Amino acid sequence: MNGGATMHELSLAHDMTRIIGNALGRKVHLDRVNITIGPLSGISPESLRFCFTEVAKIEGFGEPELVINLTRAKLICLDCDTEYEAKDFYQGCPGCGSISRRILSGREFTVDSVELEEGND
Amino acid sequence: MCDEVTEQKVDITTSVMSKNDRFAADNRELLGGKGIYTLNLISSPGAGKTAVLESMARFFGPRMAVIEGDIQTRRDAERIEKAGCQAWQIETGGACHLDAHAVNHALSHMNLDPDSLQLMAIENVGNLICPSGYDLGEDMRIGLLSVPEGDDKILKYPSLFSSINVLVINKMDLISHLDFDVDRAIDECRSLNPDVLVFTVSAKTGEGMEEFCGFVENQFSG
Repeated sequence: MNGGATMHELSLAHDMTRIIGNALGRKVHLDRVNITIGPLSGISPESLRFCFTEVAKIEGFGEPELVINLTRAKLICLDCDTEYEAKDFYQGCPGCGSISRRILSGREFTVDSVELEEGND
Repeated sequence: MCDEVTEQKVDITTSVMSKNDRFAADNRELLGGKGIYTLNLISSPGAGKTAVLESMARFFGPRMAVIEGDIQTRRDAERIEKAGCQAWQIETGGACHLDAHAVNHALSHMNLDPDSLQLMAIENVGNLICPSGYDLGEDMRIGLLSVPEGDDKILKYPSLFSSINVLVINKMDLISHLDFDVDRAIDECRSLNPDVLVFTVSAKTGEGMEEFCGFVENQFSG
């Protein structure tokens, strides 16, 4: 499963190279890979960066820079109905301080775009 | 998925979980189409997932089947078979979670006769972090926490405990020896996850198991 990956960031790094390979239809050296991670996705950006650097090299995509757009979660307070943004699970409502809330977004994880090395296009 | 190559930048805009989510949708369609209700059971190693499933196996008998996810060994599947249910072991060979593709593969090997089978329980790899991001196609996600682990674990692993439908607190037979505050655990879980339902059980003594199994049964026979 997932090439025998042992932690989920490593599985996800393999998934990323598969998605990139499918989208490009070939393996080429990349300058940059742009991704978006939500703060409630359960993904450690630094762990993913470490894994992706290795996997990209092994899979024939060179040594691209991984540019991570870390979004803010959107939450709605169940005590005072304030809609607010948070950078992690622990940030309470700015209106009343409650952490009782419903999650509107924040679990996203997408490969947005890649930039090819000069001479590859 | 891939737009035109313009200069050097190629737009991809694909969710990394999209392949998993497609298999999850397939699993949901396959099992749902047969009227089989599916559980995804997640906990740390040693919280008692297999013991809870053995107890459930005694309640449901052959109406339940179990998919076991472990790094290695068929030990858990053998325990479930002994308790009276069909079991399929997925040996992940190191991976820290099950994904929907592995479950899809397991389902292709199992007897899914809807005349006898009503409930599919998937026991995830013991881990409070990695399984939380993977939809397996379940109807209900259950987080299992045992009292020796401590009542602070819910806020330490919010990604999982905010994604579950049901919290089962196990090993209640040990509660008098420990400082685990059940009310605190429930309050903290509800703060992350306002709709969560909570059951307190001991798979060992059977305390609370009939109520929990009855609740699960109501989901598909109600």
